[in-house]
Amino acid sequence: MEIEIENEKTIPDLKKYKLSFHGQGKAYFGILIVNWLLTIVTLGFYFPWAKARNLQFLYGSTALEKDRFTFHGTGREMFVGFIKTIVIFGIIYGILLLFIYLEMPVLGVLIFYFAFIAILPVAIHGSYRYRFSRTSWRGIRFGYRGDRSELFVGFFKWIFFTIITLGIYGCWMEMKLRGYLLGNVRAGNVEFKYKGVGSEYFVLNLKGYLLTLITLGIYSFWWYKDLFAYYVDNLSLHKDGQQIKLKSVATGGDFFKMSMINLLIVIFTLGLGYAWAVTRTMEFMTSKIKLEGDMDLDTILQTEDDYNDATGDDMTGLLDINFII
Amino acid sequence: MNHTSGQYFDGKTSKPQDIELHLDETNAELRFGIYLNTTICWQLEDITFEHIGDSLEIRCNSNLPAHIKVVNDTFAEEFISVLKTKGHISWYQRIIRLEIKIHVAAAALILGIIIAGYLLVIPWVGEKAVLLIPVHYDISLGHTFYKQYVESNSIDSEKTKSLNLFAGKLQLLNTQKLHFTVINSPTVNAFSLPDGNIIVFTGLIDLMKDYDELAGLIGHEVSHVNNRHSMKMLCRNLSGYIFISAVLSDVNGIMAIIGDNVNNLQNLSYSRQFEREADEQGTRIMILNGINPEGMTDLFTRLQSSEKVVIPAFISSHPITSDRIVYINKLIKHSPHKYVSNPTLNELFHQLKN
Repeated sequence: MEIEIENEKTIPDLKKYKLSFHGQGKAYFGILIVNWLLTIVTLGFYFPWAKARNLQFLYGSTALEKDRFTFHGTGREMFVGFIKTIVIFGIIYGILLLFIYLEMPVLGVLIFYFAFIAILPVAIHGSYRYRFSRTSWRGIRFGYRGDRSELFVGFFKWIFFTIITLGIYGCWMEMKLRGYLLGNVRAGNVEFKYKGVGSEYFVLNLKGYLLTLITLGIYSFWWYKDLFAYYVDNLSLHKDGQQIKLKSVATGGDFFKMSMINLLIVIFTLGLGYAWAVTRTMEFMTSKIKLEGDMDLDTILQTEDDYNDATGDDMTGLLDINFII
Repeated sequence: MNHTSGQYFDGKTSKPQDIELHLDETNAELRFGIYLNTTICWQLEDITFEHIGDSLEIRCNSNLPAHIKVVNDTFAEEFISVLKTKGHISWYQRIIRLEIKIHVAAAALILGIIIAGYLLVIPWVGEKAVLLIPVHYDISLGHTFYKQYVESNSIDSEKTKSLNLFAGKLQLLNTQKLHFTVINSPTVNAFSLPDGNIIVFTGLIDLMKDYDELAGLIGHEVSHVNNRHSMKMLCRNLSGYIFISAVLSDVNGIMAIIGDNVNNLQNLSYSRQFEREADEQGTRIMILNGINPEGMTDLFTRLQSSEKVVIPAFISSHPITSDRIVYINKLIKHSPHKYVSNPTLNELFHQLKN
């Protein structure tokens, strides 16, 4: 009897789940234009609201099994985060100026750089917490349960190794960071796992880099395909022993075609076609990710709390770090 | 249509519940029944919605994160128009739901305002900014360039002396002290620095046949210094750059690049405008000194014959030489002038030619 159950578990009934993007370039264009207009008219103060509208559209146009994701973040939350970010950066620059005034510029600059590196994990942590707590699917909130101090310590350790190995450890760092961050993401009681490792990622990058050099850049699309696949294929979702695995079916040729057409669209419309380039990219990405597994998507339970501090999200925005997921 | 089927998500599990949804306009509420004959009513004033593509998602502020999903365009239209009549639609929803034609028109309007602002405001800002910058900035800028660039070239001290004597005989309307330098080089060129240093290459002097041509060149270069053209150029370029980055950098990369290139072309047009100003004021200086102003056009004719390729005006920092000849001739025709030959200048000129 026991064995039979085991067998059932190892050869489960695999279901396919459909990820899709329904946003139209036309609709997105309207949103970008209104954002742009309001940002100019308000001398930039509308920016956090513009960002919220943008995310609301992109999340709201992405669907899993025909049900759309929702981004609940608001411009007001992002504005408060934006102000806090400005204050934090103001203090860091203030300290630098203070030390210059005290004629200790070297110490000032050291503290300045240290503060910037120290801000990174804090910002990433805040960004993940905010962004995921503001995302939902079928009314089930996402969440990020990483521990700030744990990430902080790990981040410093990885940065240290990256510096002493002259950047080579960067690949390991990236995988460890991604593993930690994604490993702490929840969608209700569904847990995310990322199992990419530094050594494979390093080989992938080394190969991609060398072949891109040799082929005068042409290979870069295949390199990108590999990176995309390495990211997607190592991601999986788990709940009560059930799981969903992700797989990328994009080819280098697909990436080449998509990038070239997007480039032409944007150039020949003098940049106004950007909206269509984005919706095409989203459509491409979602259609190239296949999901397969035995999870029952009707039984996900609400587990995550509300969290409304957008400071981390604004800091990563200001530091120009792209949100990883 | 005031009822439809839809799905209700209660915010506790991900399980969809099929519901019949009623839009009750008189009581301003949405009503639907869920399991065990429970009826839920949402007041329209508490409702927010998202209508992306064909999917309408309705939320109630008092019952987050629960929501209703409806895929029915006719119902969606009806629902939104009822919200509109009750005044529960935000200004943002109104704008975003306008037709694409209006959005395109808005985009064109913004671009138009930006272009108009750029063309009208930047030159003005540049002009005003120069007045705020003290002249000693011009002087230190010129000194730095002179030290780094000019002093490393082979300076012809004899000819430099003659050129300074030549210029000393002229009334140049200058506010700054002027100093001329002759550099031994076949390059056909001359330029001025903001601190009143004017550099002439022997290649250009060799091309000239008469002293009035040299006077024309000096008039032209001195006018650049008198009008602080270098500083104006710097202010205009900088304010143009700041303007373009502020307006376009947040939009997207391609637009920012296009903006930068437009800005570079525009800078070239400022440069041409300043060259023309210097040509005209230089000609006036010649007339003021009783020198034949046609020396200016003679100079350009010689420059033209030494040019190998003609660069189209819009990508050139200087006006096309034939255009310069035309407008200088026009100016000469309309300015009454007399001239006598000047043996002192002639002699100094021939010393320079040797």
